[in-house]
Amino acid sequence: MNYFKQVLTVTWWEYTRFYKLKNELIGIATFLAIFLVFNFGSRFIAKTFDTRHEITILQNTDPLLAEKLETRFDIKWVSKDEIPALKQQMEEEKEGMLLKKQSDGSFVLFAYKQSRRVPTLENLLHEYTQVTRLAASGIDKTEFEFVMEPPLLEAEFIYEPGRGQRPVLAYFFVGLMVMAIFLSFAYQFTAITGEKMLKITEQIVSAIKPQVWMDGKILGITLTGLSSMITYIILSILGGMVYFIVTGASAAMIIDYLHVPAIILFLAFTLMGILMWNAIMAAIASIITDPNNSGKSSLMMFPIVFVILTFAIIGEPDSSLAVFLSWFPLTSPSAMPIRWVATEVYWYEVLGSLIVLTATFYFLRKLAAKIFRITILISGKEPTWTEVWKMAREK
Amino acid sequence: MSKKILEVKELSKTFKRVHAVKGISFDLEEGDIFAFLGPNGAGKTTTLRILLDIIKADSGQISWNLNGNSSSLPASSLIGYLPEERGLYLDLPVLRTLVYMGAIRGMKQSEAKKEAMMWLERLELEKRANEKLQTLSKGNQQKVQFVASIIHKPAFAILDEPFSGLDPLNQELFIGYIKELNKQGSTILLSSHQMQLVEKIARKVFLINKGKEVFYGQLGDIYQNSAEQHTLEVSFNNHLPRETFETLEGAENTISEDAGKVKITFRQGMTISEIMRVLAGVDSITGIRSHNSNLHDIFLDMIQQQKS
Repeated sequence: MNYFKQVLTVTWWEYTRFYKLKNELIGIATFLAIFLVFNFGSRFIAKTFDTRHEITILQNTDPLLAEKLETRFDIKWVSKDEIPALKQQMEEEKEGMLLKKQSDGSFVLFAYKQSRRVPTLENLLHEYTQVTRLAASGIDKTEFEFVMEPPLLEAEFIYEPGRGQRPVLAYFFVGLMVMAIFLSFAYQFTAITGEKMLKITEQIVSAIKPQVWMDGKILGITLTGLSSMITYIILSILGGMVYFIVTGASAAMIIDYLHVPAIILFLAFTLMGILMWNAIMAAIASIITDPNNSGKSSLMMFPIVFVILTFAIIGEPDSSLAVFLSWFPLTSPSAMPIRWVATEVYWYEVLGSLIVLTATFYFLRKLAAKIFRITILISGKEPTWTEVWKMAREK
Repeated sequence: MSKKILEVKELSKTFKRVHAVKGISFDLEEGDIFAFLGPNGAGKTTTLRILLDIIKADSGQISWNLNGNSSSLPASSLIGYLPEERGLYLDLPVLRTLVYMGAIRGMKQSEAKKEAMMWLERLELEKRANEKLQTLSKGNQQKVQFVASIIHKPAFAILDEPFSGLDPLNQELFIGYIKELNKQGSTILLSSHQMQLVEKIARKVFLINKGKEVFYGQLGDIYQNSAEQHTLEVSFNNHLPRETFETLEGAENTISEDAGKVKITFRQGMTISEIMRVLAGVDSITGIRSHNSNLHDIFLDMIQQQKS
């Protein structure tokens, strides 16, 4: 039985073991249900609480101010004499607002407690003060608007980055990659540490070489992550179609997003990124004897650090750091697509970065198999990194 | 004439400070049922793992010649392995697991499925083929694990402690399966510390203790050698010290069974009349009985002799 046939057997086994379309759909349905509950729930709550509240002002208050306040509040007019009784009532009812304008133009607010209505009131008072001060200064409203208007800038660039939709596409792929990586990790840990804990490994590696086992696991679990990704993409497309049908919007705008060279490039980096991270996680999982008690399980968060690092280059895609990150294999799967949509990247840079990434994956899968081979029968105390390094050098 | 299919020469392995295997050599011929015997920690499993290339030996030579192919390790389709540490995918259906185990050993899916179903019917588990393994009793799980290791009808089956954890009924059942497998053409190399079971099926034995060879040869030879040595159970008044027997002329090994009883193995070639003359010199002997040694006793005697 040749290498490829064996890898294919293990790949298919791992894939069918973990990818369950039914579970995937249940997960998505649950997610949608939570989304709907939050969306409509928050709207309902906002609507419920968006009732007009009462504000009390003195009878001699400027009508202009009263007019402003009336846009958001119900006005109650009182005389100065009624203030003590009003304050007493507010204390008893634990509710109410009393606003007084001072002679110097400042305001005094008396309320039972701080609430969301206070910032609303502050905005209204700000608008009112601007209007009254403008009137007092004698400046014409048109003149004022002209003064406040920003200067016109006509810019001409030598390099025009891709259309606005391409960055969206890049972020979409980075997001999908992160999602696929995290999904894969969970499976990878279960697949490797689970087999070790169930003591299946010895029987398996008596039949196939550790490299076959490792390659099958990496490919099978990558396939699982990709399948989840594809499920989400299909559902996004279906959701989009429903949106266009319901809203009657033009579907032509979606064509703008479908830039084939960009999709091919992003897909290549995304795929290699998932494979590389799966190889890294397979190596880590091989060392772990008991995932519940291993400090190394926290390394699952490792990739997110590199993705966050990538976002640092968005503002400065031509900086030395950005160039380095787009070549460095742990960051290039997300950094190169982001750089590619933000600035001019030569074709040889893209190709070179992809070759480095592919080579890194090639050697990491070999390293993962080597670590697995030397740690295969360790079931007691988990080896430290130093011990693993020593063993890897010895054998 | 049978041909050698496995030759092991001067195999050694050390783990940190533990010398697990110390220069052992043996060979297997086609159709053998070869038993690797020894107490726990003797080096049996380490040797088997080395044979399967799961761990590397420090020194020594292993030559395979299975189905006419000479190589360092034969194709996985020719080898079957039941590890001492048992385990299968508990959360997956029995049939699916067996088919996978057959597939990674080179079987076609359809062929593996057919063979798996045949075995499940034999084990009266066919109705549970699509149930998860964890729903089966421990004994049935052991049977499934056994099937998983030989489903592809290997030319050479390595069974590490195949009887461990089985009740007497299932032990007999497994002996039957192993004999049948051998009859179908598989050469069997099994390791065990349950010698009373092994002597029912093995033709060739390798006794190992602390990584070293204690005896290697045909099972018949070991009994033959043993028959040339007389072992007697001697009863005496319990005030007699055991040392009295240890210093007797020709006594090679003395084991106290309980107060007032001792098992003495005399030097090879010593006749009964010579032994009787020696024992006649000891007062307080109340009874003498000839002892028929089994493999277990012979093994213990050999270890004692090795020590002394």
